[in-house]
Amino acid sequence: MSEFIQNPDETKELLPRFRIFYVALTLAVIIFSIRLWYLQVLQGAELREFSEKNRIKQIKVAAPRGLMLDREGRILVENRPGFEAILSPQYIENLESVAAVVAPILGTEPEKVVQRVQRSRRQNGPYAAVRLKENLSRDEVFRLKRIRLDTPGLEIREAVMRSYPLRDNGAQLFGYVSEISKKQIPLYNELYKGVQFEQGDIVGKFGIEEILERDIRGENGYQYVQVDAFGRETVTQTPNVYGEQIKDRESIAGANVILTIDRDIQEAAWKTFSGEGRIGGVVAMKANGEVLAWISTPSFDPNDFAAGISAPVWSKLINDPFKPLRNKVIQDYFAPGSTFKALMAVAALQEKVITPTTLINCPGSLRFGNRDYHDHLRGGHGTITVFEALERSSNVFFYKMGISLGIEKMYNYIFPMGIGSKTGVELPREAAGLMPNSAWKRQAMGEEWQPGENLSNAIGQGFVQATPIQLAVSYLAIGTEGKVVRPFLIKKVADLEGKVLRETQPQVLRDLQEHQSTGVHIDAATFKTVKEGLRRVVQGSRGTARQIRIPGFEIAGKTGTAQVRGFAANDIYSKCENRPINQRHHGWFVGFAPADNPEIVVAALAEHSCHGSSGAGPVVHAIMNAYFSKHYPEKMAEAAKQQKGAPAAPAPAPVEGE
Amino acid sequence: MADVGLHVEQRTIFKKIDWNLVFVILALNVIGLMNLFSATHGPHSLDVQPLFVKQLIFLATGWTLFFVITFVEYTIVSRIAYFVYFANLGAVLYVTFFGRVALGAQRWIDLGFFSYQPSETMKLAMIMVLAKALSSRSVSGAGMGIRQLALPLVLMLIPFGLVVEQPDLGTGLMIAAISGSMMIFMKIRKAILAVVISLGLIAIPVAWEFVLRDYQKNRVINFLSPTNDPKGSGYNSIQSKIAVGSGRLVGKGFQKGTQSQLEFLPERHTDFIYSVLSEEHGLIGSLGTVGLFAVLFVIGLRIASTARDKFGALLAVGVLCYIFWHMFVNIGMVIGILPIVGVPLPLLSYGGSSMLTTMTGLGLVSSVAYRRYLF
Repeated sequence: MSEFIQNPDETKELLPRFRIFYVALTLAVIIFSIRLWYLQVLQGAELREFSEKNRIKQIKVAAPRGLMLDREGRILVENRPGFEAILSPQYIENLESVAAVVAPILGTEPEKVVQRVQRSRRQNGPYAAVRLKENLSRDEVFRLKRIRLDTPGLEIREAVMRSYPLRDNGAQLFGYVSEISKKQIPLYNELYKGVQFEQGDIVGKFGIEEILERDIRGENGYQYVQVDAFGRETVTQTPNVYGEQIKDRESIAGANVILTIDRDIQEAAWKTFSGEGRIGGVVAMKANGEVLAWISTPSFDPNDFAAGISAPVWSKLINDPFKPLRNKVIQDYFAPGSTFKALMAVAALQEKVITPTTLINCPGSLRFGNRDYHDHLRGGHGTITVFEALERSSNVFFYKMGISLGIEKMYNYIFPMGIGSKTGVELPREAAGLMPNSAWKRQAMGEEWQPGENLSNAIGQGFVQATPIQLAVSYLAIGTEGKVVRPFLIKKVADLEGKVLRETQPQVLRDLQEHQSTGVHIDAATFKTVKEGLRRVVQGSRGTARQIRIPGFEIAGKTGTAQVRGFAANDIYSKCENRPINQRHHGWFVGFAPADNPEIVVAALAEHSCHGSSGAGPVVHAIMNAYFSKHYPEKMAEAAKQQKGAPAAPAPAPVEGE
Repeated sequence: MADVGLHVEQRTIFKKIDWNLVFVILALNVIGLMNLFSATHGPHSLDVQPLFVKQLIFLATGWTLFFVITFVEYTIVSRIAYFVYFANLGAVLYVTFFGRVALGAQRWIDLGFFSYQPSETMKLAMIMVLAKALSSRSVSGAGMGIRQLALPLVLMLIPFGLVVEQPDLGTGLMIAAISGSMMIFMKIRKAILAVVISLGLIAIPVAWEFVLRDYQKNRVINFLSPTNDPKGSGYNSIQSKIAVGSGRLVGKGFQKGTQSQLEFLPERHTDFIYSVLSEEHGLIGSLGTVGLFAVLFVIGLRIASTARDKFGALLAVGVLCYIFWHMFVNIGMVIGILPIVGVPLPLLSYGGSSMLTTMTGLGLVSSVAYRRYLF
């Protein structure tokens, strides 16, 4: 009998009903077991990985970018340590409230913070950290640290800031850096094969920063830290599982770049060119092609980009009619104007159209076809040789050369001198300019070459177009009696220990005294004659650029004016200065010194300055002055002593079309 | 049979207590406390640390209740069942309209020392009153018809309606599940069962349209596709599954569960306490705990099946259903086979109402066990 007191009638009938519960219990245990087996055994490894990813945060330690130094090792572009404020959107619970606390500290509007985070979320996804502000002040760091614990997602990171001590000076040359966007990552990975770009990377977007990205960027380091669900770094008793496998990796600084630039010359050039509000491009080169100075104005401050450029600054830059983001030394091409006459003289002499002693009658105008071709001097220059023609910049002389030579012969000589093809300097997006011939015209315009066009092109006003750097190269070829060099900016790339990784050797692309692909060559005697003509432009008593002389050194060069638009015959003599600025002519000056055996060549394009002599000439003067003062101080001092008392050369009155 | 009495000894009080029941509860207490300690002592857990000591106090109170009730003649329960039921209903009514709002629902009465949640004790009152109502029914024959079901159904639907109104759908469903299980245990006519099931199926879309709040709908949607919004409302479900799975076979070790210690798990000391256990103690700990619950149920069912009377059996069955459904829904939610429902895991989750209700219920089971013996 049972040991229990049970009322059989009452409870016995219940016994079979208990089966339901045993079945339910068994089912529950089976379901749980299967599910737990599935999660913990079958998916266990994968889910363990997920939990590791949850708590291990990889922190990128950006490598300091390589420095840019000038030819004497002086800083052109450097890095500064700083703090930056970062927001990790995935940890933010309420963006508006975070923005409301953070914005006043950073001195901005909460709406701007919200906008910035939302834009980053759209562009870069929810997991990309958003830089709120770089280069935080001590006070900002202190105040941010106080709200840090109550503001999940907010971080203060040490950062390396790119710094451009020359600011606007040379901005188009050095370029700028900014944060890579999500869209750019695949493009950059494709462009710089072998480098893995990541979100948040600071990359070069312009100038040397861009072209040497691979060398300058270095290698990012990584730190692995444990974080909690709110992104806060946390120490627990658990060993860092990843830490045993993946060690923190130090960043490797990028290679330094030694440029051919001379900071002294660069600053002297900037001072005269930009200081006097000029617009345009200037390039100064040594005879072997090493660029000493490179100016393009108006300019911009690349430091603005490093800190994340603001919308108003950016829109001001891209809407500026004078295009601060254009690298005018290689991208602006205009009619070379009278600077082209030196190249014409080379062709005419070598083609024996004239000899150095040939006298040509140059009246105030020349009738050709049914049109009058004017000189800028109403009364003409009389009967002159090629020397006077260059010195006084006679138009009629070179109209006659154009008629005699024809465009094909002009092309055969002048194209090899560097007009109409890229010089090959390292910077990207260089314009080729244009040296026309009849084949070009047929192809480009579907028309035959007109004989009258020989005249306009002969004085550099037709189709022909050149960049400042092309004119520097071609004038240097005259000065060196035939050497066409490749201009270059990057002297060396060296690692931190100073080991040279790459070095650029000066390169002579062509020697014009040898046979060229266009079937011509140019004798040294020809060059000597033209050099003498160019010397007289500055040193001669009636030269158009007498005011740029430097005591003790002889400069050879040529002024030029690029007409912004054609003018009616009766308008030619109207004053350029009376026109609106965007209709004024561009002034050129290209020169080298010393005249007989040049060390330096300078080409300056002063846009809308009306005259080459007054617009561009003083810049060339300042650069050469800086160069010779630096390298020949005794000679300069001595010459200055002798000059004392002697009257300075009177400045010639600027004339149209000189 | 005449000499049988010679062999029967008078059982001592000590021997009448079902010690198996006591030990299995103690075993679950040990696991529960250890696990709660881990869950409340993470690197950033200063705010929840005092809860461990509070839980110890609840537990001590719970055991006191357990033993007091063990020695109480449970027929008294039968006599006071309706009183308890209506008193509790009053409290539920009160919180439904005046209670403290937390997590978007009105559930608590603030008592200073702890917040009393009447809907939790309502479950127990429900069990008592249903045990009384159903004990007069017979399971012989085809089962209960409409007339016999009317009273139990009304007793169930009043608190159910109030709790859903709070809104606390989880507790409402618990009340329905426990009551339903007890009624099915007492056998319901097949035709009626079929009608009820079809009505339930029809009720789902109706409830979706008119009863469920947006957050409740979201929970169901997220259960069906949790990756929809991994950082939003699907977050809990995903993080819980990661915690459980990452425990693998033996777990990450005591206090070494990164998901719980680093607060990736929400509500880790209450509703998601089982993920902490699974993460730190792996398949062995998870299944071991389920196994202990199974042992508790088997012991409880044996007590119920040997109860002195129908009321005792129904009372024990009701308490077991209470623990079973809470366990099933809570663990089911944690391991991702059920939607997120705010239901505590008996004996493991932090919470005074749950702990005291569970221990009182188990005290009743113990009392039923105690009263089985003739001598």
